[in-house]
Amino acid sequence: MNHDIPVLTLGAQGEVMAHAVDACVHCGFCLPACPTYALLGDEMDSPRGRIVLMKEVLEGHLALPDAAPHLDRCLGCQGCVTACPSGVPYGELITAFRGWSEPQRARSPLDRAKRWAILKALPAPKLFSVAARLGQHAKPLAPVLPAALRGPLDLLPERVPAMQPSPAVTAARGQRRGRVALLAGCAQQALAPNFNAATLRVLARNGIEVVIPDGQGCCGAAALHTGARDEALRLVRTNLRAFNPDDYDAILSNAAGCGAGLKEYPVVLHGLPDEAQARAFAAKVQDISEYLHGLLQGGILEPTLPARTPLKVAYHDACHLAHAQGVKAAPRALLRAIPGVDLVEIPEGDLCCGSAGTYNLEQPELAAQLGGRKARNILGTAPDLIASGNIGCHTQIQSHVRRQGSPVPVMHTVEVLDLAYRGEL
Amino acid sequence: MPRPPTDGPVEKQALTTTSEARKPRSDGSPTNALAADLTRQLGPRKVLHQLSERLNYRYDAIQFGVTPLAVVLPESTADVVAAVKAARAAGVPVVGRGAGSGLSGGSAPMQEALVIAFTRMTALQVFPERREAVAQPGVITLKVTEAARPHGLIYPPDPASFRTSTIGGNLAENAGGPMCLKYGVTGDYVTALEFVDAAGDVHRVTRDAYDLAGLLIGSEGTLGLITEATLRLIPPAKFTRTLMAHFAEVGQAAEAVSAAIAAGAVPAKLEFMDRACTNAIEDYLHLGLPRDAEAVILVDTDGNDLDTVTGELALVEQACAAAGGVTRLARDPAEADALWQARRSISPALGRIRPQRMNEDIVVPRSALPDVVREIRALGDASGFHLVQFGHIGDGNLHPNIMFDPRTESPQAVHDLAHRIALVALRHGGVLSGEHGIGTMKRDFMTDALDPATLDALRDVKRALDPAGTLNPGKILPDPQTPEAPHAHP
Ligand SMILES: Cc1cc2nc3c(=O)[nH]c(=O)nc-3n(C[C@H](O)[C@H](O)[C@H](O)COP(=O)(O)OP(=O)(O)OC[C@H]3O[C@@H](n4cnc5c(N)ncnc54)[C@H](O)[C@@H]3O)c2cc1C
Ligand code: SF4
Ligand code: SF4
Repeated sequence: MNHDIPVLTLGAQGEVMAHAVDACVHCGFCLPACPTYALLGDEMDSPRGRIVLMKEVLEGHLALPDAAPHLDRCLGCQGCVTACPSGVPYGELITAFRGWSEPQRARSPLDRAKRWAILKALPAPKLFSVAARLGQHAKPLAPVLPAALRGPLDLLPERVPAMQPSPAVTAARGQRRGRVALLAGCAQQALAPNFNAATLRVLARNGIEVVIPDGQGCCGAAALHTGARDEALRLVRTNLRAFNPDDYDAILSNAAGCGAGLKEYPVVLHGLPDEAQARAFAAKVQDISEYLHGLLQGGILEPTLPARTPLKVAYHDACHLAHAQGVKAAPRALLRAIPGVDLVEIPEGDLCCGSAGTYNLEQPELAAQLGGRKARNILGTAPDLIASGNIGCHTQIQSHVRRQGSPVPVMHTVEVLDLAYRGEL
Repeated sequence: MPRPPTDGPVEKQALTTTSEARKPRSDGSPTNALAADLTRQLGPRKVLHQLSERLNYRYDAIQFGVTPLAVVLPESTADVVAAVKAARAAGVPVVGRGAGSGLSGGSAPMQEALVIAFTRMTALQVFPERREAVAQPGVITLKVTEAARPHGLIYPPDPASFRTSTIGGNLAENAGGPMCLKYGVTGDYVTALEFVDAAGDVHRVTRDAYDLAGLLIGSEGTLGLITEATLRLIPPAKFTRTLMAHFAEVGQAAEAVSAAIAAGAVPAKLEFMDRACTNAIEDYLHLGLPRDAEAVILVDTDGNDLDTVTGELALVEQACAAAGGVTRLARDPAEADALWQARRSISPALGRIRPQRMNEDIVVPRSALPDVVREIRALGDASGFHLVQFGHIGDGNLHPNIMFDPRTESPQAVHDLAHRIALVALRHGGVLSGEHGIGTMKRDFMTDALDPATLDALRDVKRALDPAGTLNPGKILPDPQTPEAPHAHP
């Protein structure tokens, strides 16, 4: 698309934005992939519309506060990126735009406090755990609380599990066949400690030594995608110091959002002195399912025991796995490799479940509509089990499936594998 | 101001977002009398008047136009009538809009206008016993087949944009698609239409007497606004087989096509893409298409008798081999689907080559195809522009695309090259548009294509249905007063 974005005055991130706008031929192929367009049916809340709005703001033809409501409704799910034949890097555009525009936005004190709390609590597992526990006690009060606070409470599980500290090194079982580093994750450690426990067991069983490097922190994605660029840069650099890519065969994440965040480091540092370092790091990053799929393809993944009874598994594509990282086949292949598992596809599978990072907190109404729609689509396949590779989707889907009265278990892909290895599936 | 929810479908209710509720917007209330009047009549949910909203209703997939004064998102024919009457009272022209996927500038306003965008008029009913569907104009094309399939029926017209484009937009452009070689275009599947005319009166027309429905089809929103269509459905063929062939030269591909059809094959689909297209697609989908081939054709044969289907495919295979091509059969439906997805993605994937393009849509007699594709190739090579070709070659419908960067390449030179291409088609007995419409893109070339008497007849038709010229002005008909139409870019 033709534009007059003043690239020179916007710096390296300006280049990123101008390139994305340039690449868009406004064909509209992305419209049907966009969850907010599906709900609202207007051009401003579509990917193509948002690209035009960002262009107009960057060119100085439109005031930021006028465009902001529509840009704020974007989930960052990147469904549009998968759908776009022109290769428009929409994810990079909206992230860079949020970083550029956030300092210019007038936010109310309550809004700012909420954002501060999110940015501080999410990356700090201990703090998050305490907050989640407090929230759990506040749950009965939910009906009388303002909507802004009700959203997050709704998402908390009935019982917040106890923190389980992960060992710094988990030895390989049997012959050592590889050595990987794991990003431990933040909120996930508090809400679903079993994701990491299952990951360590499955990797060890396959002869992989797992290191959880000291000094690592949050991947920075939440900060980056809410526009807190300085905070994000700090977190990114902390991780670049903690993980030396030369020491490991791979750097693994078992949270799709974090994995996508880690793979984004070269774009975040684009034009900065540590860009090359970020590239070397990102080249090693894999989602847990990608790595295990590599073992499966190499013929060295330990076979699991069969499911005890035939099991219909609905696999939900996390946006940050399927769209942001392009990982769709790997988790499916791993689940199909378990004897007795019948994998079913979910209608409208490419549409986001509405969890998307902090969306539940910022756009509770849209998030709830999407969550309800996703749960209906999943339950329509009558599954015995729901699998997915992201903590955000996990809590969102679990909450909406329960709300629709279904007791079907929701698990991380690696938890399903772990159970299968133990003969408990 | 947030738009408060009204009685619309639940999933589309307007929302009060936290940020929206708190932040004063610089253009908070209707800025003009028309927007204010429409908001009074239709309620705030159906009327967009803020700059941030209107800006997004000034483009289609090819062109940016003038920002509209207001946008109406009607939910019923009555809403459309109200909007047309309000615009008429205010002396403001009206531009209809579907999904804005058009490739000739049709839904991009040429002057300050009221845009009526049909994306929320999505009611769709299937009547299997009479093999028909009744659709509001905002129904997405693919949805018709999806709704018909459980009844053992399909809706054949399949523009490459069928996941995005609307039935209203398809009707207004008389859209085609790969299936139209054997099954016909949108207009062939319409049995009745409801439309609102320039005065705001509602008409229901069928295909008899004066075929007024036929006149509305392909009229690009310049004669009336279509508010409902009755569409014909058919049972799908039982068997389909897919073949891909590639050639070392574009003319060979065209020769194979002419020969196959002359030999008696009636493929369901017969599509062509040149080397630039296959490479753009490979960059997107990584299917293993032959990157070095100068031309690729993609063929489906179908029917209810497997022998006939494979027999026809064999005829095509022989014709391709005789023309020097290398053929490959799709092993299974999944491989065939991937190849067709590739074909559907050509047009936007070309965005990877240059940010802007001029998209031609010529149709020539099949016998002239080899000469035409070679002449166009030569024009492109001599021009210094990236010129690519693809299209529904079985119909003789070609889409030469001129890729360019408006910051470094002259739009006038692009326009001139497009003109020369149009003249090649006309010289070989062809026409200017197969399916994308004339819009603003090919308006200038109409005087080359039609003699003055015929052009006058078209003007008379326009005057009869839209005497004041308020429906989508600036499209199709070259204006005798202002012969120079704007070019293909903002
Ligand atoms: C990648 C790509 C591939 C394409 N492939 C094909 C193809 O294979 N075949 C093909 O034929 N086209 C194709 N097109 C072009 C385009 O999709 C079609 O022209 C389509 O019919 C436009 O539909 P729309 O809903 O997007 O309409 P719009 O682009 O919004 O409008 C098109 C025209 O219709 C008018 N209009 C819209 N709704 C109404 C209504 N209810 N009443 C009266 N007038 C109305 C508008 O004023 C405008 O003149 C393609 C486009 C893209 C981007
Ligand atoms: S699909 Fe890609 S090129 Fe087309 S409008 Fe969307 S972002 Fe732009
Ligand atoms: S990221 Fe998701 S919500 Fe945002 S524009 Fe793209 S598809 Fe729509």
